[in-house]
Amino acid sequence: MSDFDPGRRRFLGHLGLAGLGALGASSFLSACASSASGPTTSNGSGAVTIQSNLSSPQAKAAMEKLIETFNAQGKGTASLNTIASETFRTQLPTYLTSANPPDLYTWYAGSVANDYASKNLLLDVSEVWKSLDDYPQSLRTLSTDAIGKQIFVPMNNYWWGFFYRKSNFAKWGVQEPKTWTEFLALCETLKGKGVPPIGIGLGDTPWVASAWFDYLNIRINGAPFHRELLAGKQRFDDPKVKAVFTRWREALPYFDPKGKAYPFQEATTALLAGKTGMFLIGTFFADAAPKDALGDLDFFRFPIIDPAVPLAEEAPTDGFFASAKTANPTGTRALLSYLAGVEAQEAYVKASSGIVLPANPRAKASDSPLVVKGKAMLNEAKELTQFFNRDSSDALQPTADTALTKFIDKPDQIDAILREWQAGAEKVFKG
Amino acid sequence: MTATISTTSVTPTRRRRRSARLSPLLVAFVLVPFAVESVWVFWPAIQGFWFSLTRWDGMTPPTFVGTDNYVELAGDATFRGALVNTVIWLVLFGGLSVLGGFGMALVLQKERRWVGFYRAALFTPVVFSLVVTALVWRVFYQPDGIADTLLRAVGLEQLIRPWLADPQTALYAVILPALWRQIGYVMVLFLAGLKAIDPALHEAARMDGANAWQRLRHVTIPQLKGVNAVVLSVIVIDSLRSFDIVWSLTKGGPYHSSELLSTYMYSTAFQSLRLGYASAIAVVIFVLALAVILGYLVRAFREEAS
Repeated sequence: MSDFDPGRRRFLGHLGLAGLGALGASSFLSACASSASGPTTSNGSGAVTIQSNLSSPQAKAAMEKLIETFNAQGKGTASLNTIASETFRTQLPTYLTSANPPDLYTWYAGSVANDYASKNLLLDVSEVWKSLDDYPQSLRTLSTDAIGKQIFVPMNNYWWGFFYRKSNFAKWGVQEPKTWTEFLALCETLKGKGVPPIGIGLGDTPWVASAWFDYLNIRINGAPFHRELLAGKQRFDDPKVKAVFTRWREALPYFDPKGKAYPFQEATTALLAGKTGMFLIGTFFADAAPKDALGDLDFFRFPIIDPAVPLAEEAPTDGFFASAKTANPTGTRALLSYLAGVEAQEAYVKASSGIVLPANPRAKASDSPLVVKGKAMLNEAKELTQFFNRDSSDALQPTADTALTKFIDKPDQIDAILREWQAGAEKVFKG
Repeated sequence: MTATISTTSVTPTRRRRRSARLSPLLVAFVLVPFAVESVWVFWPAIQGFWFSLTRWDGMTPPTFVGTDNYVELAGDATFRGALVNTVIWLVLFGGLSVLGGFGMALVLQKERRWVGFYRAALFTPVVFSLVVTALVWRVFYQPDGIADTLLRAVGLEQLIRPWLADPQTALYAVILPALWRQIGYVMVLFLAGLKAIDPALHEAARMDGANAWQRLRHVTIPQLKGVNAVVLSVIVIDSLRSFDIVWSLTKGGPYHSSELLSTYMYSTAFQSLRLGYASAIAVVIFVLALAVILGYLVRAFREEAS
């Protein structure tokens, strides 16, 4: 499920923009406005077009197989259109606002979907949800827009945690920490052994730092405050937000200094090679791991800081929404019902490589110990959050990237950084 | 006989008429490209100006906000940083590629053994796309990469830093690969110019007792006037449109320290979805490019006239 990841920014998507000159740039901007038709069109009651950003080979093959099975069932026809994920991300608003848009899209649940729903761009899929009555309430709420209709159908979710190699932890003689104090003690021990305790990958993938912010905020201030903050109802220069960074600063000396320079894929390599102790990351990182290392991987949840705060975990949910302007709503809903079913979800989990949990409660996840542990962790949580950009918007993500990378470099400038962050966020909310 | 006479008598009048009225073919050659340009270049450019006066997220219709975007630009610290970086880029990237390219051209202009090989080697980076160049240089800059290994080998390990992730070095670490490519390109332009200089001029100067420096100053450089115009426009345009190498290496980061106007415009438009504001940045880039190039053209025309 790597390609579902929020900020996996693929610069290849920008190749086409390489030569933007000044004039060319303004013309490109206006080209977006004046484009009347989307890149792909479906004709009336014909095939349902599904626009997919699942472009990694395994995920792509898995989707192809699903669509093939659907077509063989005779309930309708669908055609799959796989697009590089960065192109998909930048083009999605254009797809949705075009006069003749593709019917169905892979995307994220939460604020990002609700944003489009509030602009009346998404198809009401409440009818599909009538047959999904065994789905947990949390997923139903997540898929419901502000006026109470369902606009999203979840496919699966995954979790974030501190991943480490079991063999390395055994070698260093250390245990999984439960609390923040234990966590800092573990960092100190690893540092004493000459291992940079905390791996991170911010070069090219600065959004990885947002996981730290999200987790510290939901551990200290709780998930409701976190969501309000990301929705613009609280301020980033609030003392409660500063408290997050005060905690973070306690862990900063234990970060791998090289982590600023390389992307999370290389941070993964460093973790597997034992060059860092642990790594706060989503399960998609395992895509880059060799198969023999997978069995040696384990994780622990982000340590508890304030036991009074209800336990929340990050569990980004991936799935589908449809265009309100689809020419074939019946066919689109039929395809969505199929994709939400046990058969399709199990087939997808089996065919794709990632460590993911199917959304359908009756669909079986992989029975690897890692997945069992992840599922148990999410079940224990009182609240689930999505991820910074999914709980806010892709537009707010760059403001976080700037603020967080600057904080990691210059923690003593935190007041100025938070003021700048608030100013940047206000611009985004204003539009 | 009569036939020939009649044709010869007719031809002049026809010719006269032709010169008075434009040939339809000629009109077509002018109008068709003009129409295409209007639709694909002029109209969108004008629209870009219009969008710079609006607030627009790309989904809902734009709302007119007057000069709000420009007022915001004036107080935007990131924009000011990007403007300063663009000027640094113009001076360093432009200046050094002219100096380097000209120097290399002088060194490699004489036909010697291996000179073809050196010329080809210097020109090779031009062949690679800048995104590929960026990938190669990223390996060079990565922690414990070639750059760090080299510094360690010569005992300068205290200089080692995360080149692309350090706000002090990021911009310069991006200029270097851009230069690496541009020098070869500029060298080829100058080589062509140097070849076109009549060797007799140098011969005459030498006979008059001019030394190498005087010949360079008073013969070679004045003779390269035509090439200089080309080089200048290439450099200015390439500087202002530099985007790919920066985006692939740093995306303008860390925290805007290597942001150029072009990357800031892109991220404002397609990440923050503030297309009105991004159009205002695009207008500024356009005005800058126009100012530099018009300034040069006016001077060039004036010199030609006198």
